[in-house]
Amino acid sequence: MPYLPTAQLWLTQSSLLLSARPATTRITTKYTIAPKPKSKSSKPKPISATETEAPALSVPAAPTAELTLKTFDPVSGTTLKYKTNKAAEVSRLIQILGRLARGMGNGGKGIDVGEERVTVGIKMEGVVEGVVETVKEGLEKVVGGVGGGKGKKKGKK
Amino acid sequence: MSEGHMSNDEFLASLNDLFSTGRTKDHGSIYLTQKCMTYSQDAPPSATPNIPFPDLNPAKPLPIIIRATNGKSKEKRAQKIKLSTIVEVAALEGFYARYAEVCKVGMSGLKKRDRSKAKEKLKAKKKKQGAAGAGAADVKS
Repeated sequence: MPYLPTAQLWLTQSSLLLSARPATTRITTKYTIAPKPKSKSSKPKPISATETEAPALSVPAAPTAELTLKTFDPVSGTTLKYKTNKAAEVSRLIQILGRLARGMGNGGKGIDVGEERVTVGIKMEGVVEGVVETVKEGLEKVVGGVGGGKGKKKGKK
Repeated sequence: MSEGHMSNDEFLASLNDLFSTGRTKDHGSIYLTQKCMTYSQDAPPSATPNIPFPDLNPAKPLPIIIRATNGKSKEKRAQKIKLSTIVEVAALEGFYARYAEVCKVGMSGLKKRDRSKAKEKLKAKKKKQGAAGAGAADVKS
């Protein structure tokens, strides 16, 4: 039951799950308003126990809200989660839900994963560079064998 | 308990109400679920050895069912609110645009983007520039 670090990753993984099991997968969005968790006061702090209690009492005045996205497929038991507390992300996340919904109805096909393509592009560039490097090396060897030192310099250009 | 599905408009209006009742309290949850509608007869058949994943190739795009609850169960079940609506594939885009609006307004408890720090930085920058402005016009450009 992993929490994924970014919304983008959650989208990528969820789209993969949807393309495998479009009919059974469900996506739940949970919006929770909770009084500040008590974890602070329950931490073992024997020395300043009385000191920490006082601020903990004043804290619940500002409850914190949280948004949890969960993709769950009951057949395979796969669960993917993403949690945020930022209001700025809401509209993008709902937009993502819309994209995934379209994929659900379509039998899991044609989900636009957005930014993923960019990373693929970068990877490809790296590969191309690698290929160019090896080709260059090969050329240098050939040219070096024929023309000696001067040839090598030409190859590098 | 649920009184059948609502139309998309009714659903969004009720969801708005659900969010605003939640806002008056300092705790509570709202659950929104979306799923492919497979209950009706034209749902894909169950898996057979010949077709292990029948849901991968539906004969036609399936509608999406969207549910919303306030998560009250067990002894508080009497207070449970359940909303549901079915969105046809063609209507998905329009529905989600409005859905996003409702959620943005409703989820007001989330952290706003903290602009105070950025403002302070800007102020400090302006101060610096103002003080050095007379002498360092070249440097700025």
